[in-house]
Amino acid sequence: MLEDSGFGDVEIGDACDTFGGATGEEKARAFDVYGYAFCARRA
Amino acid sequence: MAEDLLVDPVRLRDEVRDKYRAVALDPHRIYHFHTGRPLAAGLGYDARLVDALPDVAVESFAGVGNPFSLRRLEPGERVVDVGSGAGFDSFIAAAQVGATGRVVGVDMTAEMLTKSRATAAALSYDHVEFRAGFAEALPVEDGWADVVISNGVINLCADKRGVFAEIHRVLEPGGRLQFADIANGRPVPHEALRDIDLWTG
Repeated sequence: MLEDSGFGDVEIGDACDTFGGATGEEKARAFDVYGYAFCARRA
Repeated sequence: MAEDLLVDPVRLRDEVRDKYRAVALDPHRIYHFHTGRPLAAGLGYDARLVDALPDVAVESFAGVGNPFSLRRLEPGERVVDVGSGAGFDSFIAAAQVGATGRVVGVDMTAEMLTKSRATAAALSYDHVEFRAGFAEALPVEDGWADVVISNGVINLCADKRGVFAEIHRVLEPGGRLQFADIANGRPVPHEALRDIDLWTG
């Protein structure tokens, strides 16, 4: 979607266990949800 | 475009606003996500910058990643923070760009704006301001920003393509989008994607 929206040079960082230890952890684990940092350049 | 959206964007905004109003007013309540200084430490934020901020600037932080982890901002850069909440990422950005830079935080929740503006005034951060607005209609002129940051916000917007188009509009050519957000590694059932309660909780 980023590239379709006019961005390039997309970088994605390592996964963060955003919900680990929080009450939302069970739901996050069910769908393998993690946080990521993204960096992209406007074309 | 609206017919392609999974949920009603206005109703989703209302639900998100309710959730984050609570995070602004009652940051120490238990939420389904982490908040505050423990979260910032877990996400690898620069401890020197976080420690320099007062509790009121950090306690309502509810991001999902670290938008500064892949690239630090440069002095003098102009930054837009989409969904700035109580201002935590905007204040980190302000410290990185310095007094010659400028940071504009945009948020739709009045209680978050009240909190972020009060903190900016208390810190005497003249190069940071907070404006009311939506991610899909940023109150920023075309091509103004060197960098757009955001943290855990775009996943809460029904029209993600509209948000990216708006970010593209406010960035100068060659400008960067640095954001953090969640992604799922397993498919979410279609009926769940249409359940607005699951978007916010």
